[in-house]
Amino acid sequence: MLAGDEEALALLYRRRQAGIYRFVLQMCGLPAIAEDVTQEVFIFLMGEGQAFDPARGSLNAFLLGVARNYVLRRLRGEQFLTPMADDFEEAALAGQPAGDRGPLDDLTRAETIETVRKAILSLPEKYREVVVLCELENLSYVEAAEVLGVAIGTIRSRLHRARALLLEKLRPVDEESTSSATVKSARCFA
Amino acid sequence: MNCQKFETVVGELARGRMMEIDIRREALVHSDECSRCALRLRNEDMLTRGLQLLAVETESAQAPSQLEQRLLEVFRERRALQSVSLTGGRWRYWISAAAAVLLIVGSGVAVRWQIAKSTDQIPQVAIERGEQTDPGKLLNGSLPDGPAKNVKHSANWKPKERASNILASARLHPVPKKMTTPVANHISKEIATEFMPLGYLNAANFQDGGQIVRVELPRSAMASFGLPVNMDRYNERVKADVLLGVDGVAHAIRFIQ
Repeated sequence: MLAGDEEALALLYRRRQAGIYRFVLQMCGLPAIAEDVTQEVFIFLMGEGQAFDPARGSLNAFLLGVARNYVLRRLRGEQFLTPMADDFEEAALAGQPAGDRGPLDDLTRAETIETVRKAILSLPEKYREVVVLCELENLSYVEAAEVLGVAIGTIRSRLHRARALLLEKLRPVDEESTSSATVKSARCFA
Repeated sequence: MNCQKFETVVGELARGRMMEIDIRREALVHSDECSRCALRLRNEDMLTRGLQLLAVETESAQAPSQLEQRLLEVFRERRALQSVSLTGGRWRYWISAAAAVLLIVGSGVAVRWQIAKSTDQIPQVAIERGEQTDPGKLLNGSLPDGPAKNVKHSANWKPKERASNILASARLHPVPKKMTTPVANHISKEIATEFMPLGYLNAANFQDGGQIVRVELPRSAMASFGLPVNMDRYNERVKADVLLGVDGVAHAIRFIQ
């Protein structure tokens, strides 16, 4: 592709565009931005493709890393999402059904998906990207570490923390008081 | 396994990730015994299912089909631009090279032309041989106005020398040997000192011409210029060339051996 082979670009695009698009979409929640960033990633690849070093990771990780940089830039520039406080004690979602049921017990499939999507979008960026990569895109810890440029242990601890945050956001209102001790203990191991 | 240990593995357990079979078994046993950890595991399972539902829901999401066409168009445009810039770069390279060659050749021609022109303008210097001039007058710069009238110009030898070259010579040097006349052969055996200025000396004085006049001086005159003098031959005479300007004033002198 760097040599000017159009077919190579088309093939590469068909293989990689979906993963990049999904990652960006899960990170920002807006299809328009996901489309823009996907385009920017491949335009970057056309001009700066030499920056890819196979010794440092896979091409997929490289492209997702570029996409991550673009989407974070857009997120920070546009501020179209209300960032959620890192302290999850104040981050619980209101209006959830009460009782001893689980966080998503009474929700339909569509409601569950939408609730989880919103909860993910409300996560701080560093937790959101780990959830998207490891839970939604099913990347291994190693691959996620390549994308984000951090250690595997960091991925593991961020994911643990992100799941705790998600549970807190999805927890029914009257369950907060009874399970807060459990959640607090989780923080100690994050 | 206690609750703290269970908390560290519950996420991996709910996600179905690979873990040691003993730890997995202990965690499941603990969740059966501890209601709080059982609820914790249940919630984690539910979160995992919610995340899986979302992952399945968005699995088919992909960029719009027209994006590929846009990217391919961009790719073609960039490739065309690159080829144009490469071609333009080659042209610029060759044009620069040609300009550099022309500049070098032009500079050479200009220098040669300038040399030829200045050669035509330099004073024609003739070495006078024969009659002697009053050495005292020469040294004092009190030659009569105008070209020396009491000297004879050599008919066969009229070398053209640039006054500036003469003045610039700072070493004893033999007079060029490539001479054809007997006089020239005689001169070729001579060794001369450099020209020593007599008072203020300016090369511009020789733009309109000048003469070199051969004279004989008492050897003691050499001492006046700081040259060593053999006291045994103190009374002998020594040959010297006096450089006269167009105004007849002596400007420089050199001694000949």
